[in-house]
Amino acid sequence: MVDQFEGPIVRLGARIAVVVALMIIYLPPLYLLAISFNEGLQPAIPSLDQVSIKWYLALAEENKLLAALGESLLVATVTAVIATTIAFFSALAYMEMSEHRSGWFMFVIFSMFVPGVIQGLSLSVIFTKLGIPSFWATVVAGHLLWAMPFAFTVILTMLAVVKRSYLMAAADLGASWGRRLWDITLPLVRPGLIGGFIFSFLLSLNEYNRAFYLVGRQNTWPLDMFGKMNSGASPTIYALSGSILIASFLAVVLCLLLTWKRVVKTS
Amino acid sequence: MNRTVLLLATPAIAVIGLLCLAPLVLVVVWSFWTWDPSTYWIKPDLSFAAYEAIFEAGRWKVLLDSIIKALLTGLICLVIGYPAAYCIHFLAGNRSAFLLMGLFTIPFFTSYLIRSFSWRLVLGRNGMVNSTLMSTGLIDEPIEWLLFSDFAVIVGLVASYLPFVIFPLLLSMRKVEKSVLQASLDLGASFFQTLRTVLLPLTKAGCFAGFLFVFVMSLGSSTEVKMLGGAAASMISVMINDVMRVVNFPLAFAISSVVILFLLILLYVGNRHLKLAKLFEDFSW
Repeated sequence: MVDQFEGPIVRLGARIAVVVALMIIYLPPLYLLAISFNEGLQPAIPSLDQVSIKWYLALAEENKLLAALGESLLVATVTAVIATTIAFFSALAYMEMSEHRSGWFMFVIFSMFVPGVIQGLSLSVIFTKLGIPSFWATVVAGHLLWAMPFAFTVILTMLAVVKRSYLMAAADLGASWGRRLWDITLPLVRPGLIGGFIFSFLLSLNEYNRAFYLVGRQNTWPLDMFGKMNSGASPTIYALSGSILIASFLAVVLCLLLTWKRVVKTS
Repeated sequence: MNRTVLLLATPAIAVIGLLCLAPLVLVVVWSFWTWDPSTYWIKPDLSFAAYEAIFEAGRWKVLLDSIIKALLTGLICLVIGYPAAYCIHFLAGNRSAFLLMGLFTIPFFTSYLIRSFSWRLVLGRNGMVNSTLMSTGLIDEPIEWLLFSDFAVIVGLVASYLPFVIFPLLLSMRKVEKSVLQASLDLGASFFQTLRTVLLPLTKAGCFAGFLFVFVMSLGSSTEVKMLGGAAASMISVMINDVMRVVNFPLAFAISSVVILFLLILLYVGNRHLKLAKLFEDFSW
């Protein structure tokens, strides 16, 4: 076994890199979160007696923002249902394939690499030409292409739990393909499906670029928020950002606990 | 290809084909059509006017500038991400490795808009950095170039897309046999010799994949520039938005076509030489 052949300086350097990476990612959002609990109007870290959820309560009055949030929740739910379903079928197809697996993998995740603005613009032009007005479903169409590749990789990782021998044993005992799917694969990958659903939901909920050209008269929250962020900061912006950050954080943690427990147990 | 595979693959083929590929192909085709002022749309006359327009009004400079920013972001992410991934894979115990991987997973699914916006609070005139530096007496006046500058954009991009480099690196490190490193060590190589001649070549695919992910994501980004860039700052996505504000469809389509073609070539070359898909496949089966 390799034991600490790096030497203390290299080990320290590598650890510092982790700390730097985590700070770059987490420090600003945490700072925003702290500010969101400040009682005053100015953005500052509250001292203990200034901590208040005043701006969170004020969110209830922001009707325009709440309507946008409602629209986002609708879009995210529909996106997540469709993305998870199609991703599951695509992952099963991957497993059943004996060749062209790499090609199929690249095909399914390709849309992840298309810049959101270009994807949104091209879709919106097509919809306009087809006479389809912009409404929540056109936003779903754009978000689907962003969420599906992630759901696909999550479910594919989870499918590794389903050992080939289980399926072969079932087949030897006379189980049909559908029966094997229902009794063996589905129960084993259920956490992966839930994970894929939550991830797709969050990706859609937070997506800004792809919705830009596709929204109808009702904005989604990131679009509504973008305007607010650029026109003088009101503390409710911090409160809404804080709520969304906390909700996303909890959802991802739940997801990870669900999927990783299973993957770790079997590997 | 048997029937089951075909049946299972149909929904994805339909969705990706109709919603992703078909619109992109049409955009490329339409970029060669001519603008028709009478209909506010284009007519099927072959024209390269839109492509010529890319070289006007400094637009090619925005393209070049976006590529440079994306390259720089990719490199910085690699420089921070490689030792970080090394630490997670080789140094951390099982529990902390999972904790760290969890912490690097969360940002994928939190709002890029909020995360960019929060940098304003850190880098602004009265932001965290300036007020800390002022209170320690290191500076007397707030540093102005921290926010609404290229520096801020790069910082925002690195923060947004850093996790994209960590996971490909981890996957490629997972495939490195520890005995190979031990052998190199036993033969008298120093750590840095081992790193240079054994570990780096073995994790080349991960480096490239990670860099490519960050590069592609940065190239298509817009929130970071809109939130953190200066008044004149632009990026491909922002330029497309500007062009669309004056409904110049052919030009928007031409810029999009150039970007799509560029990305396709990159992904193709990447997959061809470094087997990007393979990196994930070994992990999943």
